[in-house]
Amino acid sequence: MKDDHLRQRRLVYYKEDLDQIEKLLDEFLKLSNAKGSFLIDKEGHLVTQRGAVQQINPETLSALVAGAFAATKELAKLLGETEFSVMFHQGTTDHIHISIVGNRAITATIFDEKTTVGMVNLYSKELNTKLEKIFDIAARRVVKEQQMEPDYSESVKDKLDNMFED
Amino acid sequence: MQINYAKKEVSCKLVYYGPGMSGKTTNLEIIHEKVPDQNKGEMTSIATEGDRTLFFDFLPLDLGRVRGMTTKFQLYTVPGQIYYASTRKLVLQGADGVIFVADSQEEKLAENIESFKDLEDNLAEYGVKIDEVPLVIQWNKRDLPTAMDVEELEAKVNTVNAATTTAIAATGEGVLNTLKLAASLVLDRLNAKTPGADMAAPKAEDKKEPKPEVYVAKVNKDGISRSYFNQYCQVQYRLSSKTDSVDDFKKFTLDEKKKLLESLINYVLLLQDAKKRNIQASKAEIDTQINTFTKKLSSGKSLEQYLKDRKLSLDNLRNEATKNIIIGKIIKEVIPNLNARLKIKESEVQNFYSTNQDKFGDKDIDAAKPAVLAAIKNARKRELLSEFYNKLGRETNIQIFHEKL
Ligand SMILES: Nc1nc2c(ncn2[C@@H]2O[C@H](COP(=O)(O)OP(=O)(O)OP(=O)(O)O)[C@@H](O)[C@H]2O)c(=O)[nH]1
Ligand SMILES: [Mg+2]
Repeated sequence: MKDDHLRQRRLVYYKEDLDQIEKLLDEFLKLSNAKGSFLIDKEGHLVTQRGAVQQINPETLSALVAGAFAATKELAKLLGETEFSVMFHQGTTDHIHISIVGNRAITATIFDEKTTVGMVNLYSKELNTKLEKIFDIAARRVVKEQQMEPDYSESVKDKLDNMFED
Repeated sequence: MQINYAKKEVSCKLVYYGPGMSGKTTNLEIIHEKVPDQNKGEMTSIATEGDRTLFFDFLPLDLGRVRGMTTKFQLYTVPGQIYYASTRKLVLQGADGVIFVADSQEEKLAENIESFKDLEDNLAEYGVKIDEVPLVIQWNKRDLPTAMDVEELEAKVNTVNAATTTAIAATGEGVLNTLKLAASLVLDRLNAKTPGADMAAPKAEDKKEPKPEVYVAKVNKDGISRSYFNQYCQVQYRLSSKTDSVDDFKKFTLDEKKKLLESLINYVLLLQDAKKRNIQASKAEIDTQINTFTKKLSSGKSLEQYLKDRKLSLDNLRNEATKNIIIGKIIKEVIPNLNARLKIKESEVQNFYSTNQDKFGDKDIDAAKPAVLAAIKNARKRELLSEFYNKLGRETNIQIFHEKL
């Protein structure tokens, strides 16, 4: 019953959590000397991005990273592993380091010759431990206050209608 | 779905599913073509040679700010070909809504059925039931001469009574309609439903837009609308009125309403838990309760008269009976040694009698004993039940909007 409940849970992020998360990501970027980092949930939604990576489309990157990670997980299963926790792709100038955070998120870090994959890997391990703690606390919080306008859904439907009429 | 209050963003995932070559990628291409530039990102396709999808297609839509929240839909297609089974499954992860694109051609019937079953299995692996996920079936390729009748497709493929649309994706016909319908099913889910409300999915033909509801609380995915709450208050008020005079429930103070809301939330929690445990009240059990209740009515008053005096319907009473039965069954199931814990000592009876003597008028302790026993038992049951509610409450997501009471 509990599992079921978790599986169907919406991923909800609040300001207090995100402030902490972004602080950790900034710290990590400073220490590792990477260019920028994305935090993505396993379903492919971007949670937040930090650093100088504005030219990359974050939505597409999130979808691809989550997809690639899920595929790698299948690969891991074939080899009898539960999952590979780190993935690394090397380019000519930019490289990407992808790492799993607990069981609900992924960090994707872009870096170049200013640092090495070893440094990125080292600090990302520290980062992940801290992120996991934040997620654990966030997951246990009971939501009491209303945060969404009651007519939100209807307004989105109207917007969709208008968008397609043009 | 991700709700990011910090960034004021909502992001929903819609997945186009269906057999190979049914037109999933075509749907996304049309959407990409028709959506205004400021509302869309790049379409990414991971395709083999030709137009077969290998991994997935991806198209992000951005509706901009709606009621303070930037609203996004992430559209995915899966590869339909049979041997990409594991890829299909992983793209489906976290889908908030599914659009099943069926190929209407007669010779594709078996593939449609197989793919639909595959969808059901893959959803089940993520713990999602196919008749619970927001789902739209699109009967595509209506232009082809071998397209089957929609009624026949409905009967053979749509085994879950999902909402359906028709389309000729290649020309764009029906594509946006399908997307809108799927999006609105997902959004309805966000604005959770009233318990007991009719949840039947709308068919494509009838486009009646429901009125937005004001919710006073949300318990997991069930919302408690204000009208439902008011009705509940009214029934509780009338049931509890000792005299037959029926005053308006609006006389409840805010504090009383808060208490009533709490009890209604507990009731909803209980129903949700009962559903999971497959606990039900049968018609016969309800009838028995109503009969017992009728016999207890003072001085041979008829049930009709009792209800009429209180402006209640028989359904109101049956609902109460249902609740009682389910509560009875659940506490038996979740509270170990219930009977032992409900045993009452003689000293407790004496204690209760002496502290509440004024309530028993001129009855001596022996005459009052049955009433005392019942009162103590009820109080203890309430205690045990509240432990259980607390436990349930801890495992659930409850939101209360007191300002809407
Ligand atoms: N006649 C007709 N052809 C269509 C229609 N919709 C799609 N097609 C054609 O069907 C073929 C397959 O369409 P796709 O959109 O690539 O199919 P798919 O479902 O993405 O296929 P996979 O990626 O293999 O799963 C293409 O040649 C489309 O042009 C339609 O409504 N009518
Ligand atoms: Mg395709």
